[in-house]
Amino acid sequence: MNSTAASIGHESHGHHGPVLQYQPGLPLSRGKLIMWLFLSTEIMFFAALLGSYVVLRFGAAVWPKPHHVHLSEPIGAFNTFVLICSSVTVVLALEAARANKRSLAKTWMLVTLVLGSLFLGVKAYEYSSKFDHGIYPWAPRGRIYERPDLYYGSAVRARLSDPAILAKMKELDARPEGELSDAELTGRRRLKQVRDMVNNPNQQAFDLAVVADQIMPLPGEGSDGHGHGGGLNDTFGWLQLPAVIPGGNMWASTYFFLTGFHAIHVIVGLIVFGILLLYELGPKRAGMIENAGLYWHFVDLVWIFLFPLLYLF
Amino acid sequence: MNNSETDSSSNVTHGPVTSHGELPEEIQTGGEDGEQSHEAHGGMMQYMAVFVALCFLTTMSFLTYSSYWPWKDEPQVGWAFMMAVSCTKALLVVLFFMHVLWEANWKYVLTIPAAMMAIFLAIMLIPDIGLRNRMVSQERALHMARGSDVLLLEKAASADSSDEVGKHEH
Repeated sequence: MNSTAASIGHESHGHHGPVLQYQPGLPLSRGKLIMWLFLSTEIMFFAALLGSYVVLRFGAAVWPKPHHVHLSEPIGAFNTFVLICSSVTVVLALEAARANKRSLAKTWMLVTLVLGSLFLGVKAYEYSSKFDHGIYPWAPRGRIYERPDLYYGSAVRARLSDPAILAKMKELDARPEGELSDAELTGRRRLKQVRDMVNNPNQQAFDLAVVADQIMPLPGEGSDGHGHGGGLNDTFGWLQLPAVIPGGNMWASTYFFLTGFHAIHVIVGLIVFGILLLYELGPKRAGMIENAGLYWHFVDLVWIFLFPLLYLF
Repeated sequence: MNNSETDSSSNVTHGPVTSHGELPEEIQTGGEDGEQSHEAHGGMMQYMAVFVALCFLTTMSFLTYSSYWPWKDEPQVGWAFMMAVSCTKALLVVLFFMHVLWEANWKYVLTIPAAMMAIFLAIMLIPDIGLRNRMVSQERALHMARGSDVLLLEKAASADSSDEVGKHEH
């Protein structure tokens, strides 16, 4: 084969010496080939993450319901919709670039960028609602307890004997009733009861369950977990008492790990789109847009599985 | 050797043989050829149809929450349904948006082994992680959440409508 190609080269460019013909192994550009190879490693990366999640979840004795951990299904569905829309716009940008409609391609690319940013914004809002309820991917992790047991009781007691908290509670007790809102009045009464309960040497398991419920009740089904009041931690933000979510720690680890890695992928995609926006998006850039699009569709794909696994199961 | 003729004829259509190991122009930039083959598929209407299907399927996952869902007591049915919906959505994205439907056979080489390894990976986690609660030390069992804890908390929540807390005090 080589000798044939060489001989042809010799015939056509006699004075240049032999020229070898390059035959691509696959009928696609190098950029696209590399992108697909990269995506096949990404399939395994996310499959490992999702697989671990599924195995951890179904192997756990107790796993929190989505509303127990303040997950809102409609918000998750909205984010799914946003990502699907952005997948469509990136395809439209590619089509426009191929048809040499440069400004249209740029507009679609910009819309994709905006939709991706919207997804991240919603995600940030969701994260902040977890942080508000003491669920963190980092310190202080110790605020979530698995069971309303003696260890939990002593953790609440320890927090309530913190000098700064004692001072705040003294301040609260000193305030006249007229100054306090209804929620604060109820909260003050509940806080006193919680203090009595955790300090009671004859406390029983059910007392501690009541304490946990007073501090941060597990929201019922249908509650969106946002602006949820009623718990002492919600009424008095400075309290930050330990809360009980059975299975909550493992849930938090998997949730932040999965959505965090997905969010990193979204950020990378947005950077790529930002760079693409600097260029004229004509047919010459179609290959670049296609590769960026392939990556973006993959990010969408991961979310298509993450959404039901995290929000609906 | 006998295909030297075809080679030379393809040379004519593809222009001169490149000496830098570069791809022919139309493959590298997705130029004319790519565009022509592209016009055969895709198209606005098709993308919109896929988009509508994806939105419809996303709404379908909510069906398991509605009162019309008949298998409320068997969550496994709902899970299987939602996974089927997700797989359908994923398939639509891969086939139409990622243009895999129109790619050559290399697509199987890249996707099938990766998918198989992904499945094996999850299966291999089952003995050590999935079944980790089958045998645990007593010490660990003491700190593990159980179904009874959830029941206890739910009971506490229903019992203590704020004003009745005093009743449970000693």
